[in-house]
Amino acid sequence: MGDKIVILEDIQKIYQIGKVSYQVLKGIDLEVEQGEFLVIMGTSGSGKTTLLNIIGLLDKPTSGRYFLEGEEVSKFDSKKLAYIRNRKLGFIFQAFHLVPWATALENVLLPLLYRPEGFSKDDEKRAISLLERLGLGERIHAKPKELSGGQQQRVAIARALITNPKLLLADEPTGNLDSASSKEVMNIFKELNAEGLTIIMVTHDPEIAKNGKRIKVIADGIFVDEKQV
Amino acid sequence: MMLKYKLLWGGLFYKKLRLVLSIIGIIIGVSSLLLMNAFGEAAKIRTLKEIETFGPEVLMVVAGNVRVSAGRAIQTEVTTTLKPEDAEALRKIGGIRFISPYFTGDAIVRFAGNTVSTVLNGVNEEYLRLRKFSLEEGRNFLKDEILSYKKVVILGNKVKAQLFGKENPVGQTILINKLPFKVIGVLSPIGIDASNADQDDQVLIPYTIAISAIYNVDYIRGIFISVEDPSNLPFIEKQIDSILSKRHKVTEKNKDFTIVKAEDILQAKTQTTNLFSSLVKSISVLCLVVGALGVTAIMTLAVNERKKEIGIRKAIGAKERDILLQFLIESVIVTLLGGIMGVVLGVGLTLILLPVFNYPLIFPVIPILTSTGLTIIFGIFAGVYPSYKASKVDPIVLLRSF
Ligand SMILES: Nc1ncnc2c1ncn2[C@@H]1O[C@H](COP(=O)(O)OP(=O)(O)OP(=O)(O)O)[C@@H](O)[C@H]1O
Ligand SMILES: [Mg+2]
Repeated sequence: MGDKIVILEDIQKIYQIGKVSYQVLKGIDLEVEQGEFLVIMGTSGSGKTTLLNIIGLLDKPTSGRYFLEGEEVSKFDSKKLAYIRNRKLGFIFQAFHLVPWATALENVLLPLLYRPEGFSKDDEKRAISLLERLGLGERIHAKPKELSGGQQQRVAIARALITNPKLLLADEPTGNLDSASSKEVMNIFKELNAEGLTIIMVTHDPEIAKNGKRIKVIADGIFVDEKQV
Repeated sequence: MMLKYKLLWGGLFYKKLRLVLSIIGIIIGVSSLLLMNAFGEAAKIRTLKEIETFGPEVLMVVAGNVRVSAGRAIQTEVTTTLKPEDAEALRKIGGIRFISPYFTGDAIVRFAGNTVSTVLNGVNEEYLRLRKFSLEEGRNFLKDEILSYKKVVILGNKVKAQLFGKENPVGQTILINKLPFKVIGVLSPIGIDASNADQDDQVLIPYTIAISAIYNVDYIRGIFISVEDPSNLPFIEKQIDSILSKRHKVTEKNKDFTIVKAEDILQAKTQTTNLFSSLVKSISVLCLVVGALGVTAIMTLAVNERKKEIGIRKAIGAKERDILLQFLIESVIVTLLGGIMGVVLGVGLTLILLPVFNYPLIFPVIPILTSTGLTIIFGIFAGVYPSYKASKVDPIVLLRSF
């Protein structure tokens, strides 16, 4: 179990809408190794986002067990989950979700706000060098609306990386980007993965999916296919 | 360090119109609260000043029935049975310090082409000390001048200014209802006393000449009495009552005089001011409540609008408590901003309006403290609901909506 970062055992998710209950995840088993680049594919409504929410500790499964780095996080309370999200996970969203009134640099620093030790001058240097590495050295004081989609997504990546996460979660990270920007973002992902970062990415675009090392396909709440790239 | 606060509350100044709107309600609430409190304070100080000239040791016998209404002793009928001899008869009561008969009426006063219509009060030489009035110029009446019907006059400060300007009037002769009177003194400024009479707008002459030569009657309107020891007042009051009842051959039922104490006047007065001030206080607290509700409404709107921001914060590790605190403090900041501006506005208005309404000028320290304190409390209350809502925002909104 030591080198398995994520273990899901029979994860089910049932949504209750009034009297009708609707089962979105119908028993997901999954093991993700340290350093993997896993892609989850599937048609719209198949349950990809729901699964990623659960892996990202933003949502709780109706039943099943979830181990993250050996800890059974499905038993943690909300305070502990917030701590894990802050220390171990990084999120990339399709719609970037940057804070609109903050600059690129401030957005990158935001996760450190929720650490008791606060900011040091070092953190700021680290954030700037992250932005430089992602090609945004000139735009560190720009507001999100002054940046292109690709640039915004790169700020979001820097924000996810500032905490040195163990696991990077990305839900359709290229969904709002043109093909050139998509390619840039995928190159960054591959580079990060090559440095040892574990990545789980959701997409329904087969071209994008090819960037991963392993692809799992979900259909109607259950994994149906797996292939190594 | 600054960065931390920027990241926490930078969003507050992002939508300026919203911020301004929520601040305006608070400004109105706080400034009106402060203004009302300041007026209350000033009224208290004014009343204290008034009591100085109509102190707790002073009482007054008034001819006829008297009603005390809104701090003013109102004579309900004219009675002619109170005589100067009654005043003399009261002197034998022990513990009395000063006694002055009193007759009041309107008068036209003239000097060198200036004409003033004012209040004429006929009194004796003890009256000034009894009322604790001091002289700016000249001297008091002599006992002999009272007894021998001398035409001498002491001018109220305003009357002096109207007739003589800056000149010294002592020794000059003025006409009161066409009779010549020699000016012997001028009162220092006094202001409005407990009976709401402007004591600067009067002239004082011997009561003897007032009733005989000017009004041509043989009765007086009242008797001013001051006692050595205010705690004796109820006892002395009883003696006055029995002596006068005997002299006038009246009983409780057909009594033709009334005894008025400073206390009676004060009581009626504080009752009305208390009623007034509690009314305005509740109105201004209401303003503050409305202001706070405005903050609540606008903060709730802001929380809905900023769901994404809240979701991001949660996704990257903010606990519910962090979000709750952030928004609570945000609404306190908003109310404090409004509060500070409201205090500035309120103090400005106070300093302008107090003199306009003839109140003593005070710097409203206590009202500032109370309205600031109340603002902080209301700010916290205003923030509770929206902050709670903010802390409950589910971060999965981020992955669902785009
Ligand atoms: N909060 C919810 N309440 C009820 N039903 C939900 C809820 N969230 C998702 N669903 C349903 O669960 C199913 C799976 O949703 P999910 O978002 O996981 O799909 P997805 O694979 O990410 O699709 P897409 O490619 O369109 O993003 C959908 O049918 C959706 O309507
Ligand atoms: Mg999805």
